[in-house]
Amino acid sequence: MGDIYLFDVASRQAQWLAVRQATISSNIANANTPGFKAKDVEPFSKVFDQTQLTMAATDKGHLGFDAVHAKPAKVKKTDSWDVMHSGNSVSVEQEMMKAGEIGREYSLNTSIVKSFHRMLLASTRSGQ
Amino acid sequence: MIDPLQASSRLAGAGLEAQSMRLRIVSENIANAQSTGKTAGSDPYARKTITFRSELDRALDTASVKVKEIGIDQAPFRVEYDPGNPAADENGYVKMPNVNMLVEMADMREANRSYEANLQMMKQTRSMISSLIDLLRGA
Amino acid sequence: MLEAISSITSAIDKANTLSSTRAVQATRLAPAAPSQSVDFGDIMVQVASNAAQTLRAGESAAIAGIQGKASVQQVVEAVMSAEQALQTAIAIRDKVVAAYQEISRMAI
Repeated sequence: MGDIYLFDVASRQAQWLAVRQATISSNIANANTPGFKAKDVEPFSKVFDQTQLTMAATDKGHLGFDAVHAKPAKVKKTDSWDVMHSGNSVSVEQEMMKAGEIGREYSLNTSIVKSFHRMLLASTRSGQ
Repeated sequence: MIDPLQASSRLAGAGLEAQSMRLRIVSENIANAQSTGKTAGSDPYARKTITFRSELDRALDTASVKVKEIGIDQAPFRVEYDPGNPAADENGYVKMPNVNMLVEMADMREANRSYEANLQMMKQTRSMISSLIDLLRGA
Repeated sequence: MLEAISSITSAIDKANTLSSTRAVQATRLAPAAPSQSVDFGDIMVQVASNAAQTLRAGESAAIAGIQGKASVQQVVEAVMSAEQALQTAIAIRDKVVAAYQEISRMAI
């Protein structure tokens, strides 16, 4: 049942990446807001260790992944490259770099999931 | 709880709106850089400023952006000697708008850059959602 | 979709009755063999009902997704799980049916 564990990990990473994307979008939208400090999420490894592995749906109303409990905590990153006069600490370049990371990781994540999903289907399909 | 990808989209949209407004203000300033008053001794066009404020989205605990206010730059008007101008006072001096073209052009470039960055985030969010839905596609 | 699951449960029932008949006949000749066929049947029924549950969850997730109440990720995951569960259940059904046919061919 190794595949199921993989899907669980990939699901959590996808959720974490989505939350990070929202955070970075917020930073970029507020790039010119006075006093705004850039935020980021805790690293995935830290979040992953904290959340327990929940089993699949226990009642039919449940939608599977419980997003609320796995929400990564936000931390204020103080090691931003520069802080402007207005108190705004958003560096658009830094944020765009992070966005690039997120995009790559998300692409890899969905590709892996797609691949293993197909493999699982193929393994149950073939042979008679 | 709102889908974080949906929230990303909305945040990028809010950013685009804010930067759009900023570009509009800058354009207004540039267009009116030479607009003097109509009557003698009257004030010319006053440079407009725009400030943003962050607005907390309660559902996802992220901060969106909104225009806080569009204000007037209180910097003093420069004065030019131009007695033939309708706005010239009794000594022949005309008050000119306190618009500095270099500052406005720099601001415009900044606003453009921020606009592009927000646009890039929106594109990426869309691509992420797309690859997610794509999982269900295929044989 | 759910017909596949009910066909699985009926196939399991048939195989169950047939194999337990054989087991009863076999005990006359040999000391009582542990009733493994019944336990196996229970497990298979559990698998089938689990698959049915996953399918229902997938359906409700899809509906919630259309209404905008669920996130895209939740819907995709639920539908993918349903797909996997259904595929697995069908494969099991086919195997059970094949086994049943083989048993029915056995000379008594």
